[in-house]
Amino acid sequence: MKTTPVTYELLTENITIQKKPFWQTLKKQKVLLFMSVPFVVHVIIFKYIPIWGWVLAFQNYWPQKGIFDQVWVGFDNFKWLFRDPVFYQVLRNTLAMSIIQLVFGMVSSILLALIINEVRLLFFKKTAQTISYLPHFISWVVAANLVRDALSTDGGIVNEVLMRLHIIKEPIMFLGIPQLFWWIIGASHVWKEVGWGAIIYLAAIASVDPNLYEAATIDGAGRLRRIWHVTLPSIQPIIIILLVMNMGYLLSSGFEQQYLLQNGRVIDYARVFTIYELDYGIKMMRYSFATAVGIFRSVVSLVLVFGANYLAKLLGQERLL
Amino acid sequence: MKRKGLLLLLLILTVTATSALVSAQKTQTFTVFLSEPLPDYPGSTIVGDIIEKETGVKLQREYLVGDLETKVGLMIASGELPDMLTAAHFTSLFKDAGMLIPLNDLVEKHAPNIKRLYAKHWEQLKQEDGNVYWLPIQAIPYGTDNSRYPELGFFINKKVLKEAGWPVIKSLDQYFELIENYVKKHPRINGERTIGYVTLFDSWRSFATTNVPQHLLGYPNEGEFVPVLEKGKFVVRQYHTSNAAKVYYQKLNEMYNKGIVDKETFVLNYDQYIEKLSSGRVLGTFNQYWQVQEAQQILLRDDPENIFIPFPVVLDESIEEYQRDVPYIQATQGLSITTACKDPVGAIKFLDYLIREETQHLVQWGVKGQHYEVDNKGHFYRTEAQLKLFRDPDWVRDVFGGPYFYNSFPNLRGIDQNGNSFMPDRQPHLIYADSHESEKEVMDAYGVKAFTEFYNAPRPRKYYPLWTITVPAGSPAHIEQTRMKDILNAYVPRMVMSKTKDFEKVWNNYVKEISGLMQEQIKVYQEQIDWRMENW
Repeated sequence: MKTTPVTYELLTENITIQKKPFWQTLKKQKVLLFMSVPFVVHVIIFKYIPIWGWVLAFQNYWPQKGIFDQVWVGFDNFKWLFRDPVFYQVLRNTLAMSIIQLVFGMVSSILLALIINEVRLLFFKKTAQTISYLPHFISWVVAANLVRDALSTDGGIVNEVLMRLHIIKEPIMFLGIPQLFWWIIGASHVWKEVGWGAIIYLAAIASVDPNLYEAATIDGAGRLRRIWHVTLPSIQPIIIILLVMNMGYLLSSGFEQQYLLQNGRVIDYARVFTIYELDYGIKMMRYSFATAVGIFRSVVSLVLVFGANYLAKLLGQERLL
Repeated sequence: MKRKGLLLLLLILTVTATSALVSAQKTQTFTVFLSEPLPDYPGSTIVGDIIEKETGVKLQREYLVGDLETKVGLMIASGELPDMLTAAHFTSLFKDAGMLIPLNDLVEKHAPNIKRLYAKHWEQLKQEDGNVYWLPIQAIPYGTDNSRYPELGFFINKKVLKEAGWPVIKSLDQYFELIENYVKKHPRINGERTIGYVTLFDSWRSFATTNVPQHLLGYPNEGEFVPVLEKGKFVVRQYHTSNAAKVYYQKLNEMYNKGIVDKETFVLNYDQYIEKLSSGRVLGTFNQYWQVQEAQQILLRDDPENIFIPFPVVLDESIEEYQRDVPYIQATQGLSITTACKDPVGAIKFLDYLIREETQHLVQWGVKGQHYEVDNKGHFYRTEAQLKLFRDPDWVRDVFGGPYFYNSFPNLRGIDQNGNSFMPDRQPHLIYADSHESEKEVMDAYGVKAFTEFYNAPRPRKYYPLWTITVPAGSPAHIEQTRMKDILNAYVPRMVMSKTKDFEKVWNNYVKEISGLMQEQIKVYQEQIDWRMENW
């Protein structure tokens, strides 16, 4: 009991010490703060307030009744979820496809950015870049039909080319082979997004200090050496930050692409969380169950982001938070 | 720049303001969601303009894009409703959610035509609380009529029949034998590979593939289960693991491995399916007629020698087929007015106007003297020139516009009081006479006046059909149903596409997986069938 006033004093002292610089910085950065207000408000309205809806997961929600007149069911929805064999299939598919997309998407984008950066002819550079990111602007509804047609056994370009090259004798029904589905998703993702993804890396490369290249050249570094020792280390922070950010989307990625390319034959490998929520949640008016799945995804995503961030910190790399 | 932008803004404001004023004076607008994937209304059509002039009602339509079940789930969750809606067999979900208004009083007070024309069906439409919440899309106020095409069948390309000397097809083996022989003789059509058989397996339309066993056993389209008459009582039975199912999938498997069944049939979506059928390269497909009608119409217009002819195919000749529908109305679904509608009286008055005989004749037959003629007995008919117009589905939809007022809107079926069919292609005396030359050739060869004559007349089934029963949302039966469809989706392609020697193994796995997923549903269906037998 005797020590109490001492700590109190210590605390107030601390606060007064911190107070001054804080208000000073606040005053100094008031324009910046003012500019950020709309975004903070936006995040609160659209990201924090809806979390209130999570109570649905613990109810047996029925639209006719008000939110307080619902039947409370505790953790029933979660129990159902973890007992459902389909859930584990879905978890596997989502993770597999997300990781394939993340890895191949990033690697291909970085490669493309490096290649485009090395091109000397400005006209060719611009054209190549434009063509590579054009598919990004096609909606998946159209793109899925393009992919379907390309992979068709009935005159699809992929089968035709493979047959002309005598690599295969009979056309292969690519979209009908369950084990291939993940890779088709990965490949079509890379095709559609590689150019778009490269833009950010190109921007990062553009900000590399030219002196570094000059110095490297004087030291006798060739093109590849310059890429390896100058360009890549310079854009490394961007790569790490994007990686950490994308970790958060691992479980929520994918809907249209899988939904539009799937068929009965490959359903066991094609169903991701968003489709699962739709089939076993919203379509059956089990809104509470869909909410429960959503909560599960959010919690796991949070763990993944913080985990990746922590890992980056351990490795002494750039961090997001 | 700034001044120009301001001017433009002012201009837009004035234009919207005036147009809002004008519409407020002249017309009333209702928003309506229609659970049918039609292209958007072109804005002005022959029929539409007349209706708008006579009623002063303008409809703002939203047609289905994508998957109906998803759309319904989202609509109910968000609570954002149009004034009126149809939602096929999900209509009752809106009622359960308290989003529909009862129509009894409205009809009693403001809709004499609806009252008169739905009188025969009215008791069937009453829900447990005694209220009626929707008007079925079809009403049969007087007698029933016949049609040129049956509701479903194994369709076969005309040229196959012609070359084989017009055989009457009865059994599954015979059907595939004909196709196989033709493919052997003509491996290519117009330079492209001949496709022996296609089966539709696109998302919810996959019933075109999985429903077949019940028809092979001679039943009409009941849905996933079949009520079988046993000792005077209809008992709900499953057919997914029946012998008929095994024979059917084994046959498809055999044909797949022989290259008769299209290699990519299980990955085709509906658009690709229609595209294939209308290319003239396909020899056979099973389906319900409404799912192949689009292709058939295109073929009749562009390539009439490749049209599809339906046959009531059964497992073997010992089975008697009753595949045709018992005339019925879809009592469990229809057009509803929602709680969001600000003027339910106006809405019901509009529907009352739509359903009366004069309007029905307008949307189906058109304008007298322009789109149809009347002979001295009072029978409607169309001249050759008028017929030609109506054979072009694009013209009918986009210029004439009738389909925009009878698809998904309440309409009349059967014959009217003067003996005219409400639907021109069902006009009793004209089914044969109005047929296309190519259709006539087939009918003549078989000595029939309509393709429906290949089929037996249906046997009475008072509850008919089972598929209009909806299992309660989110119930164990509902979850079971989704799981069962998952199994069908996963296993049917596997069974058909496996190597012949592996078929037995895949079939056994399928039976093992699906057997436990039907009991809850059967319970629900049995209850409802019993109720219908008692109360209808």
